[in-house]
Amino acid sequence: MTQRRRRVTRFAGLLALPATAALVLAGCSGSGSTGDAGGDADSFTFTFATSNNLESPYETLAKEYMAANPGVTITTNPTPNDKYGETIRTQFQAGNASDVVQTTPGSGDARGLVPLAEAGFLEPLGETATSLVPSGSETLFEVDGETYGQPLDFTIGAVVASMGTAGMNGITTWPTTMDDFYADCEKLAGDGKSMIALAGAAGPNAGLTAQGIAATRVYAEDPEFNTERADGSTTFAESEGWADTLQTIVDLKDRGCFQQGAEGGGFDAITNGLAQGTSVGSFIPSGSAVEIAAAAPAEADFKVQPFPAADGGKPYVLASSNYTISINAKSTKKEAATAFVEWLATPEAQEKYYEASGLLPISEYKNLDLSDTIYSEVVTDITNGSYTTLPNNVWPNPAVYEALQVGVQGLLTGQTSIDQVLQNMDAAWTD
Amino acid sequence: MSTTFRAGEVAATETERVVLPRRAGRRHPVPAPRRKGLLKFGYWWWALPGILFVVGIHYVATSIGGFFSFTNWTGIGAFELVGLDNFVRIFQDPTKLGALWNTLFLAFGSVILSNILGLGVALGLNRGLKSRYILRTLFFMPVVLSPLATSYIWKFIFDFNGPLNLILRGLGLDTVARAWIADPTWAIWTILVVLVWQNIGFAMVIYMAGLAAVPVEIEEAAAIDGASLWQRFWHVTLPSIRPAVAIATTLGLVNGLRVFDQIMALTGGGPAAATETLATQVYKQSFALGNFGYGAALALLLTLIILAFAVVQQRVTAGRSKED
Amino acid sequence: MFRYTKLTGLREFLFWVAALVFLLPFYFLVTTALKSDREVITSSTLAPPTAPDFGNFVKVLTATGNSNVVMGLINSIIITAGSIVLLVLLGSLTGYVIARSTRRWSRVVYYLFLVAIVLPTQLGTVPLYIGARALGLTGSAWGMIVLYTGMLLPLSIFLYAGFFRGLGTEYEEAATIDGASRTQIFFRIVLPLMSPATGTVAILAGLIVWNDFFTSLIFLGGSANQTLPVAMYYYIGSLVSAWNQIFAIVIVSMIPILAFYLFAQKRFIQGFAGGLKG
Repeated sequence: MTQRRRRVTRFAGLLALPATAALVLAGCSGSGSTGDAGGDADSFTFTFATSNNLESPYETLAKEYMAANPGVTITTNPTPNDKYGETIRTQFQAGNASDVVQTTPGSGDARGLVPLAEAGFLEPLGETATSLVPSGSETLFEVDGETYGQPLDFTIGAVVASMGTAGMNGITTWPTTMDDFYADCEKLAGDGKSMIALAGAAGPNAGLTAQGIAATRVYAEDPEFNTERADGSTTFAESEGWADTLQTIVDLKDRGCFQQGAEGGGFDAITNGLAQGTSVGSFIPSGSAVEIAAAAPAEADFKVQPFPAADGGKPYVLASSNYTISINAKSTKKEAATAFVEWLATPEAQEKYYEASGLLPISEYKNLDLSDTIYSEVVTDITNGSYTTLPNNVWPNPAVYEALQVGVQGLLTGQTSIDQVLQNMDAAWTD
Repeated sequence: MSTTFRAGEVAATETERVVLPRRAGRRHPVPAPRRKGLLKFGYWWWALPGILFVVGIHYVATSIGGFFSFTNWTGIGAFELVGLDNFVRIFQDPTKLGALWNTLFLAFGSVILSNILGLGVALGLNRGLKSRYILRTLFFMPVVLSPLATSYIWKFIFDFNGPLNLILRGLGLDTVARAWIADPTWAIWTILVVLVWQNIGFAMVIYMAGLAAVPVEIEEAAAIDGASLWQRFWHVTLPSIRPAVAIATTLGLVNGLRVFDQIMALTGGGPAAATETLATQVYKQSFALGNFGYGAALALLLTLIILAFAVVQQRVTAGRSKED
Repeated sequence: MFRYTKLTGLREFLFWVAALVFLLPFYFLVTTALKSDREVITSSTLAPPTAPDFGNFVKVLTATGNSNVVMGLINSIIITAGSIVLLVLLGSLTGYVIARSTRRWSRVVYYLFLVAIVLPTQLGTVPLYIGARALGLTGSAWGMIVLYTGMLLPLSIFLYAGFFRGLGTEYEEAATIDGASRTQIFFRIVLPLMSPATGTVAILAGLIVWNDFFTSLIFLGGSANQTLPVAMYYYIGSLVSAWNQIFAIVIVSMIPILAFYLFAQKRFIQGFAGGLKG
């Protein structure tokens, strides 16, 4: 045999092997992908946002459902919170999204269900979902009379604080004025700790922090601000409340209320800070408190605390339904998915959700006695209506919220000014 | 491959034995006499699928993309022509201009640094080192890895409590240690470091091949004439490897302008859009936010820049090689 | 000039030091991947693990859903192999015809391909995406193979054309005299001869397809056919900052390509340097 012929055969063999393998496997995967999760009609996929490695309440719910319904397999896809909108949109566009997807009401976030529904990516839900929509906020959940997201929760947005950590550092009561707050900041900063853990590099936390503060500076005085902005009778740049909000963030940073390296902090800064007691609190959704409490020592004693109002202002918090469950319009498992989503509305599921996440269940919260829970400090604010919907749920497009998030980050690093941020938010507002 | 027999080979067919002479070196192929205008081997339509593929996927798609850049399409439903609006928006938006600047910075920075360092390594490994093949393998290794994977390693290194800061603090340089990736001024440099780290091997290999072709005699003659090390390098070595320089810099530039993976893994475009480039913006605008028209405009801008540089590069290097 | 002087020895030593510093990131990669969850938080990032813990690898290899690394690996293999086969086939056929033709159109076509290599794909991606979506090809392995082939075909044709230009026509002439048909000539004589070019194309194009992230992300992200880089991206995203697990998956993703590289590194380097000079 000549060298050449040997080389030919060896070469041909080398080429043939991967080629056949490719064809065979392509054939297999081709048929496999249309009948995913093992071709089982009762198995589906579920995507939700996650900010840490702890077990998410959605994971818990999925497990509960699988235990109650043997034969059903739910494949969960926890997706990082700071890239969530971008990720699910890319998947929806290509038709590759999961069967069940967690979304958010309104249109002010990249994961907002209104634009997703308008683009035809979501499946209309039935009566169960519609009945859970809080009255007065139908525009956030429905398009053309059809509901596209089933609300799960009633989330209170304020500061989640570890009273145990506070106590260990000489802070016995939560400060109710800004002066007290700053005094506590200084006390903690001296020990290398901080009042607030901020994930400056994570858009959602930067944005939520700003909105939590805005509740007291903007909406306490002017609860109709969002409507006025939509009418055009005011702008962000003209709003003293918003300027005050952003100024407060800068002040908090300058007076050591945030942890070292806050501008670059990720969600882990919050999880670790709160669990290990190096930070007292953080602007996180009340639901995350329970997740983190599981990783923290028992003495942590997390409570939802209102951020102090400006001098002479009223206490105000954020409270609304912020998490909805939607079904992918291109899903091939709609029956199984719908069964799951309807189960989420049942009292047992809501109960489980509350236990796992600490988030108040949308259907039951008005009846619960919250005096012994993490919400004990904000019960009065809720009962006398001193709260507003999460602003970005109501804003017309995600770019406004993004401008706020990026703006806060820029203020922390000194890259931008308050006026610039407000102008950017106005520029992003398209009617 | 060869068109002659090397020592030890046996003819496979009658044809070979008759046609091919034995020779040690390569022979320049003599063009076969052809009837004018007729293809003597293969069929012309064999090229058709290839041509169609390329025309379709490259030219047609790019033209359609170019067309979209003048519309306000959101990927679904109807759209309308908006003329130059998208482009005006780009130049009025400070973050987009920043992305443009970053694109150019990363491209030129990575080309210059990786070529200088790559050339240095190639020169160092060039003559006489016993373990040059092992060293070459080691230095080239990062090139084959996925840019995404290497970015994650460097993300760890640059972390606020990662090895780099630990070493800096250990050396007493506490004030230098910072949150590199979250720092608006330094974040883009971290990306540059990752790019250069991965591409040194690439440049090195091209230069090594180029240097190997430089005849030793010329250098020795220069040395005998009394030229210093630096003079020898500048006047003898460098001109001889001009083609290699041309290739390495062109490819490096074109790839540098398209950087995407590293940025998504390291900073995601942050902090506060400080490390966005045209490529990441195209992704975010078109696919994450659904502004296909705007994203296409950004992509068109990127395309024009790349083409412009490629043309300039060709002119410069073609001019130079004529001198040789 | 080739005398191994003390200076040369010093140079060799210095370059070894440089190589080790240069490859330091790999040290961090391996040591961190072997640390347990507790150790990765408590121990210094510079220190090696006290007791290597392979548990991270187990976790990584059994992840499911969008983070399914093993499936990503299989998909990557399928798509890369499929693309290489198509690229070799179409590229060689087209490159051969272009190289052998003396008509003017072949020069035009040659420049067409040359420009296409430099032309960035970003602009064409959007319409291709829309088209693929309309045809239902997003999320499918075949769609990706077709797409990658199209994207890399100019490079493949360019390499083959350059190779064939340098290949004398004696074999083909002789075979013609012997009475072989054109198809026979190509498949029985030319095909074996072009193995060096095929090697170069396979390595260069294979590497590009294997490591591709952007195109795979938008076309396949979230589907059952997503490739390894996308699976890695999703998985690492879901880990937030568990570096030990993150590095376990990075190592898993690097092993195939590194194994191949170390096995065939001469070919790799020759392919890069030689192929690109042409």
